[in-house]
Amino acid sequence: MLVQFAGIMVVISPAALLAVLGLATLFRIPLSERSVARYAQASSVVGLIASLCILAYMLAMNIRNVPLELGDWVHLENAATEVDHGTAHVHAPANAEISDTEAAEVVHVEHFHFSLKFVFDRLSVPFAIMSFVLCGVIGAFAFRYLHLEEGYYRFFLFYSIFQLGMIISSLAGTIETLFMGWELVGLSSALLVAFFHDRPAPVQNGLRVWSVYRIADAAFLVAALTLHHLSGSGDFDALMGKGDWPGGHATITENEALLVGSLLLIAAAGKSALVPFSGWLPRAMEGPTPSSAVFYGALSVHLGAFLLLRVSPVLELSPILCGMVVALGLITMIFAAMAARVQADVKSALSYASLIQVSIIVMEIGLGLRYIPLIHIIGHACVRTLQLVRAPSLLKDYSILENALGDHLPDSRSVWRRWLSPDMRARFYRFAWERGYLDSMLDDFVVRPFVNIFKWSDRMERRWTTFLSGTSGTQVTSDRDTGET
Amino acid sequence: MNRQFAAAAVSNLRWSPEDSLTKNSLIWLTLMTATSQESAFPAPETTTAESTEHMIRRLAELLPLQGPITAFAFLNPLQGMENQPFIEALRQVGDMFGCEPFLPEGSYRDKMARGRITVDDLNEILAEESGFDGDHKIAGLVRHASLRLSMLQHSINPGAEHELRWMIAETDAIQRFRSEISHSVRERMIDSTRQWVSNQFPVSASASASRSDTTEELMDVVQDAIPRTLLGGSGALDEAAWESVSLALLWRLLRTRIERTSNGSHGSASLTRHRDLLLAASSEDSDELVHDVLIRFCSVFLDQGYAHWKLPHRGTGFFHAFIALFSSGGFLTKRWLRPVAREVQRIHQAGMSALESLEESVSLLGIEPHERESFVRGSLLALRGWAGMIWQTEERPDRVYIPSRHGTLIEFLAIRLILERYALQWLSRETLDYRGSLDRLREFIGTHHSEKDAEVTVEQRAFPHLQLAQLHGWSPKMIAELSDSQWQELVHAVEKFSSFERRRVFHLAFERKLMRHALDSIAIRASQPLISPKNPQIQVITCIDAREESFRRHLEEVAPDVETFANAGFFGVAMYYRGAGEAHYTALCPVVVQPKYWMVEDVVYALTDSGRQRARARRLLGTAEHSFNTGTRGSLTGAVLTALLGPLFTAPLVGRILFPRLTAKMHRTARGFVAPPPITRLRLERPEGTPASPDEDGIGFTLSEMVNMAERALRDIGLTSGFAPLVIILGHGSDCLNNPHESAYHCGACSGSRGGANARAMAAMLNDPRVRRQLLARGLEVPEETRFLGGLHHTATEAVTYFDLELLPGSHMRQLHLAVDIFGRVAERNAHERCRRFETAPLDFSPAEALQHVDDRTEDLAQTRPEYGNSTNAVCFVGRRSRVRGLYLDRRSFLMSYDARQDTDTSMILARILAAVIPVCEGINMLYTLSAIDTRGWGCGTKLPHNITSLLGVMDGAASDLRPGLPWQGVDIHEPVRLLFIIESTPEAMLRIMDQDPTVGRICRNEWAQLAVLDPNSSRIQRFVNGQFVDYQPSTAEIATAESSLDWYRGWRDNLPFALIQGKNGS
Repeated sequence: MLVQFAGIMVVISPAALLAVLGLATLFRIPLSERSVARYAQASSVVGLIASLCILAYMLAMNIRNVPLELGDWVHLENAATEVDHGTAHVHAPANAEISDTEAAEVVHVEHFHFSLKFVFDRLSVPFAIMSFVLCGVIGAFAFRYLHLEEGYYRFFLFYSIFQLGMIISSLAGTIETLFMGWELVGLSSALLVAFFHDRPAPVQNGLRVWSVYRIADAAFLVAALTLHHLSGSGDFDALMGKGDWPGGHATITENEALLVGSLLLIAAAGKSALVPFSGWLPRAMEGPTPSSAVFYGALSVHLGAFLLLRVSPVLELSPILCGMVVALGLITMIFAAMAARVQADVKSALSYASLIQVSIIVMEIGLGLRYIPLIHIIGHACVRTLQLVRAPSLLKDYSILENALGDHLPDSRSVWRRWLSPDMRARFYRFAWERGYLDSMLDDFVVRPFVNIFKWSDRMERRWTTFLSGTSGTQVTSDRDTGET
Repeated sequence: MNRQFAAAAVSNLRWSPEDSLTKNSLIWLTLMTATSQESAFPAPETTTAESTEHMIRRLAELLPLQGPITAFAFLNPLQGMENQPFIEALRQVGDMFGCEPFLPEGSYRDKMARGRITVDDLNEILAEESGFDGDHKIAGLVRHASLRLSMLQHSINPGAEHELRWMIAETDAIQRFRSEISHSVRERMIDSTRQWVSNQFPVSASASASRSDTTEELMDVVQDAIPRTLLGGSGALDEAAWESVSLALLWRLLRTRIERTSNGSHGSASLTRHRDLLLAASSEDSDELVHDVLIRFCSVFLDQGYAHWKLPHRGTGFFHAFIALFSSGGFLTKRWLRPVAREVQRIHQAGMSALESLEESVSLLGIEPHERESFVRGSLLALRGWAGMIWQTEERPDRVYIPSRHGTLIEFLAIRLILERYALQWLSRETLDYRGSLDRLREFIGTHHSEKDAEVTVEQRAFPHLQLAQLHGWSPKMIAELSDSQWQELVHAVEKFSSFERRRVFHLAFERKLMRHALDSIAIRASQPLISPKNPQIQVITCIDAREESFRRHLEEVAPDVETFANAGFFGVAMYYRGAGEAHYTALCPVVVQPKYWMVEDVVYALTDSGRQRARARRLLGTAEHSFNTGTRGSLTGAVLTALLGPLFTAPLVGRILFPRLTAKMHRTARGFVAPPPITRLRLERPEGTPASPDEDGIGFTLSEMVNMAERALRDIGLTSGFAPLVIILGHGSDCLNNPHESAYHCGACSGSRGGANARAMAAMLNDPRVRRQLLARGLEVPEETRFLGGLHHTATEAVTYFDLELLPGSHMRQLHLAVDIFGRVAERNAHERCRRFETAPLDFSPAEALQHVDDRTEDLAQTRPEYGNSTNAVCFVGRRSRVRGLYLDRRSFLMSYDARQDTDTSMILARILAAVIPVCEGINMLYTLSAIDTRGWGCGTKLPHNITSLLGVMDGAASDLRPGLPWQGVDIHEPVRLLFIIESTPEAMLRIMDQDPTVGRICRNEWAQLAVLDPNSSRIQRFVNGQFVDYQPSTAEIATAESSLDWYRGWRDNLPFALIQGKNGS
């Protein structure tokens, strides 16, 4: 029972922070900077202690899986009906009891159910602890860093959404719950990228992040629906069998696994900025330093890898899928390693450095490793957070370093100089400098066709309406630029 | 040519009556860039003769003057425009830079509400306007002065068109009178309307004969606006209905009349850049495309060694490196960029130079000769941060590791225009379907897409009149009956008093108020007896920095028998300096000076071995750290390191952020083991006859150079007799973490470095018996028992460190202990006074807590305000300390020591001092002031998204223009005012100096700073107004007094008035 309570606390504490900050904003209750920071810290500390309790309990009792059910939310007889996973469920934990009673009234024959379920196991508990530690530290950092800043409250509001999203995603026991957390993380990330919304660049880049996330989310959603079709529910244990992570065995066939797995891989690629979606990661460095540190450099960029870990039993079913995961990781690693080497600004360089590690983690997952990628994620998140938070110290660090070495830092003597002809070097350099052309390829091969279709439809519609109304079509040209985004 | 001469002159910073004046003037003249005659700006209308290259070099003076951010350049961002009057220059900056010249009107009105600007101040400024008759009745309605005053006092201007439309539709702005209109005015307006309407309209036909055509038309309008019910004859409308009828009538009348009145302003300046026209026509910004490429290219081109892969062919220069980069690969690049590959190959094969390509682009874009200058200027300023940095690396190669060669700015511009051509081509095709050649693009946009945004609507013009009519009680009848010429006069008067003019008046009034207060305070203090201790045991020389004002004040309060002086913080020792354990030389002198001397700090001979071991240890640790850092950024090493050691990183992460004090202490202890040994010496002397150079032999100064510097340092501040046994020379520097702008907190006179080494060198020179002998020969006797001690005042932590203590004879230990004790107490008090400015420090701190607090701030990774630097500076006093000692100046005043009685008849010393003090302090002040006025335009915005790039500067976020200037976190408490120089001298001396020193003359005559002189023998003050000195009449003879500084500032966060501190100071 105690562990159930601790489990609820883990989920409740970030949700309560969001509720407090959100309601205060909604009703314009002025909070002092200090009290906002206090609430944020309290939320992280309570959540952290609760997760540590669960960890201790699991270690002491040698239990590998503690589920936490917060009730079923939707029961449908007909699986064909579309279900809205929207915002109504966001505040779910707070009124769990009510839904229990509702749930009892529903007829028993169910083809679709959406239950809010959290799982504490060897994957989720370390991930949740890491999220609390990093969010807590960044909260304390931001309290002083954003002092007197106009967007102070806004920052902490987004921060609370982000933290809640991270916790929900890491603990999710069903794919819908995971999606919910995933969306919260995506939303808050995009808003934080656009934090300085009085300049055009952050807003544009925020929008870019948001659109890439949408592609990833669409893939995720299709994957979730397919899973439902295949296994009748979104619960991970229904899909992966009863074994505890990472020992589960999925119950679907190899081809089904390939289909679902590929979709999830797209979702993971979007979230973790793997090729071809890598363009958004350096662009996400628009927000205040602490948010870029923890959110893109350390936590949300690992969420794709986490998803792959979570559904690892599916991966195990299909060697082709594993191959794809490894290949994607490898391509991204090569790309990121090149791009990282030409960046002259500290934040872009660090974001590509992050990407290198994320892609290696993805490769590890594809190769069938489970604990190593988990350790790798945690270690990498900590290193990168510290590095990003310290990014403004770069000049001082360099001068200390140069003083210690007694000279300017040596050029890195690498394969680069020794093995490549100048011409090849120039080509590679251009490739890396253009960031692998990924942005322009997305623009050309994905965005442009869509825009062209829309423009064409627009033209057709106009022609059709002109034809119907019988007026001459002179105004068509003047509105032509509407489709260009 | 001037540059070389100036450099030679700097080497000769000695004081000798016959030649120094011209030389020193020239130093500043030539080094403060914008002076040589070819740089006069703006040029007369460009004639055919001027070459493009010449023009670009001239326009480059408008670029930001900030070089690498590690050496912060405190210079006026508008230095290139200093040869125009301040206000005239500001008039142009909106169009040129897109930055605000003044604070927003609302913020001045806030100051009015708080009493920081009064109506009297406004009236005073209005009365002084040249060519303005305040008593003239505009249109017979209102005095011109009161018209202007009402426009200042009340917010009457609508915002954007949409905002106004919303106001009209959704608020009762045209139904109800403004809330501040008095009841009687309202009554009168309504009554007059009621009478007028009932008189006019029942008998409309009969009256019409006498009216002119205009009035006829107007009457139609009025008739239109009146509700039918009213014309029906029943006058039975209630008060409220009449109110809205009056206003509706007014509104209709005003709109109709405005419609027929041409806009007084001549429209906006014609847009020369295609980009501006295209942006207005299609809301697509070609600069966005161009900058995306250019920023990334500039950052790798200028990179000082951060990226692992260097830009291929960087050595061939900007232009050719770009061509090389774009000639290889890139078939998948953005669509608009694809044709650039072919274009650069063509340029390359044709063997064109950057300049030729630039000329070609200009003609391809169809730029007429007469627009060439404004086009090039616009293109140069569009990405001015990067352009400025390129210019700096080209002009000051001594300040960067990897400089750019001559002509790089032109290459930059050439590349920019190539990119711009393709961006324009692409966007005009995509958005406007224009497929013609670029030289006709502007014409095309002009004819097919008239810029409707630029036009001010009738409503926007009429709205202020509606507000004024209410404020002044002009009834519809009065408006209708104005003759055309009267109406024209009214509109002209209102529209001529534009937003710029209003803010200008506000700004001047605000400055005036502060100026009066400062001059009154100084006059009152100056009328009282001098305060200078008879037999001081300790004398302290600090920097002129405004931060040292409170430091000195507390010093004098704690120890009334201490005497203080101030000199520019490099103490006349301009040098490249390399400390023990440092890898490179740093220039320790004002940023505009190119030092001629080199100085090295060595570990003393006895500790050489230990020093070598520690250096080895440092090197080992440094290499390890470097490998680790690059390792974590690499792929496979990164994987191993992060996976294995990563979790260990929670310790420093959590420690640094949650327990900064403890972590800092641990760090310091650990670093102590490998730091260079504590006992070091400056390699001060070089043999007479060897040229100065960074090599072994050339380091240091010759004896005669030392004598010159020492003599000048003492004579400048008037310390030529009455020496105390111990004279402490204090440079200053700051401490902070995680702050790219660290150097902005150090000494501005040492170009953003710590000034300790300069103080130490000066003390060592003055202690040299040979120097003293030669000084004696020049009539300057330093008593044998006097010892000089160099030190460093840490302005953030308030600690004071001393140099060469082991050389201090035992006889002076008593004074040293005394000094240490005094500085300890001063540290607490000064920290306490500073803490009142920090919102996170409670106002009821004890001094000890305050000291701990300021110390903590420097160790905090998350602290964006380690201290406030020279923020709030407003005054610069040049004169004897004894005349202002005991005056609380709230850390708002630079203080320079100068004794007019010791100067020559021709004020040689003053001329020499001011040649440095005026440009330096004015530069600091203008940088703070402009950064505070428009933090995003002149300053570098908020620190939070800053991203260090190329090891040179900061960008906002992922990619942006380089951001020079001060961050918002450094200027949020600064009140933008021009610096007020109060100089203890005579008007004749000042006028002579202004004539002889063009820089000083330009700054004072063009009013980039305010100037007043204080008579050396009385409290008479004369202000410099319109080119001459006029007596200043103090507005009050009273000033607040307080027992101690603490008593005066306790409990206050905001700026405080100046006050007399009367404590134990009287002795």
